[in-house]
Amino acid sequence: MVVQIWSALQAVLNGLLTGALYAIVGMGMALIFGVMRIVNFAHGAFMMLGMYATYVLFEKLHVNPYFGFLAAAAILFVLGYATYEGLLRRIADRSDFMQILLTLGISLIITDGVQLIFGADYHQISIPLLDINVKLGPHISLNAPWLLSFAITVVLATGMFLFVMKSRLGRALRAIAQNRYAASLMGIDVMRVQALSFGLGLAAVGAAGGLLLPVFYLYPTAGDQFTLKAFVIVVLGGMGSVGGAAIAGLVLGVIENLTSLYWGNEWALVVDFIVFLLVLSLRPSGLFGSQRV
Amino acid sequence: MTRQRTLIAVAAFALCMLVPLFVHQDYQLNVLFRLFLFAALSLAWNLVGGYAGQLSLGQAAFFGCGAYGLVLFNEKLGVPIPIAFALGVVIAVGAAFLIGRVAFRLRGPYFALSTIAFAEVLRISAKNLTSITGGDVGVQAPALFGSDPSRWFYWSAVLLTAAAFAITVWIARSRFGYWLQAIREDEDTALACGIDAAGTKLRALMISAALSAIGGGLYASLFYFIVPDQVLGLDISNQIAIAGMLGGAGTLTGPIVGAVLLESANELFKNLFHEAHLLIYGVLIVLVVLFLPEGIVGTLGRLWRRRTQRA
Repeated sequence: MVVQIWSALQAVLNGLLTGALYAIVGMGMALIFGVMRIVNFAHGAFMMLGMYATYVLFEKLHVNPYFGFLAAAAILFVLGYATYEGLLRRIADRSDFMQILLTLGISLIITDGVQLIFGADYHQISIPLLDINVKLGPHISLNAPWLLSFAITVVLATGMFLFVMKSRLGRALRAIAQNRYAASLMGIDVMRVQALSFGLGLAAVGAAGGLLLPVFYLYPTAGDQFTLKAFVIVVLGGMGSVGGAAIAGLVLGVIENLTSLYWGNEWALVVDFIVFLLVLSLRPSGLFGSQRV
Repeated sequence: MTRQRTLIAVAAFALCMLVPLFVHQDYQLNVLFRLFLFAALSLAWNLVGGYAGQLSLGQAAFFGCGAYGLVLFNEKLGVPIPIAFALGVVIAVGAAFLIGRVAFRLRGPYFALSTIAFAEVLRISAKNLTSITGGDVGVQAPALFGSDPSRWFYWSAVLLTAAAFAITVWIARSRFGYWLQAIREDEDTALACGIDAAGTKLRALMISAALSAIGGGLYASLFYFIVPDQVLGLDISNQIAIAGMLGGAGTLTGPIVGAVLLESANELFKNLFHEAHLLIYGVLIVLVVLFLPEGIVGTLGRLWRRRTQRA
């Protein structure tokens, strides 16, 4: 009995560590959805690009992934800005049907493009940190890279939340999320702010990809499941709420780890989607209210 | 559709039925089977995605229900093949009812997301329940046709496409079809006119699911062996939706044109580029969304109308 409690506690703690990364992925998606009303089907593909960017930096230039993720975020920011200016901007007024299809197309191009360049092989990097486990008492131990990424993620998430809530640009973001037309009347350059927020959303997911690299296998479709998870997180947190997405990410991480513990890892994604369908049917405004961005 | 056009459509399908007189190779007939199968699946998608304007990205769920329904009822429970086939279709319609009840109360992107989530739940469950479905190892499908199966599969696919086309024609001209289009154009106005939006969309999805499930049963039997990633995967859903969009969502012939183009391209590129076919899909989608939002048939139709009006 006691052992079971310890293993459940271990699963919850692991869930929080995973969930912090989910939170960043979800916050990026929520930012994009809140400001642009675009459901970014390429979210996971961009995350995978962040992983590959960090990987290439590590293999070619020996940059530690815990610094490399910053470069990945910067690259993804530029890429996001360019994607918005080049593609998304042109369909800003179209139905969400078209926007979903466009981002789906972008996702296929990125994934297959990476596969053509790097091949479909699995990669994994090895750094000394991976072998270190931090013991908390006799029953609980936490893997060091997860702890480190958790610490970094908390800083990033807090920074992102404060940026959205306190900064001038953040206020413009929230104004657009509330009413795009009124925001433009108040002198906000809607197109530019949307481009910046798409860049920021992708920077978040790029950073998450970089932080995930040491503890995850790398392959061209590695990001696909995160697109779906990001939807779940955004719906769980209340569509477009950045703060809600952060909490929802943690919740999802814990749910997944508990599922893995009791039913096996292969059911984790099924439980994710069932949670998603339940939230949509029972409480479509999300678990944490309806406040946007 | 005028009497003249009806005659053209009937003649076209009759001609397609004659193809096996000239094409004898199994491989070629199977390629043509796929072509018609995807035309039928895209027509089915079009009822929801085109006429009702609800982007379904989880058609594989219904396709897979048809495939696994036939296989599991027949192989595991010993139900005779025709009944097992029908049960697969019934299960797909039931699945459509379930997903529609949840998703159609919500608007915008929620529907697309729910269809994906639902199809993925089915796919992963089928992978995990190895004692029932055989998991990734797969399960053997019963043979629907005894002798000369390639021909019979081809004929069934043509018939399915013809049926899906006839249903589309009927819906496009019926009150039900006008309701669907009214919902697509403006759901609030449709509601204000007394249209039961959720119920109408739900019926369209169930018809779509039934047609897709028949396709799934045929596909499973032709391939002898099915695995979850093959019949329930996101790839199938995407391919169906892309074919519909490429040809023209909400047009009668668009899905057929789109499916024929996409499948032929697939067949050609398979030998030319091997791994790049998803890249080509992606580029196609981006081009269609940016430059041909009404699809090939939709755009040609608009140009044609403009020309005739001017003249």
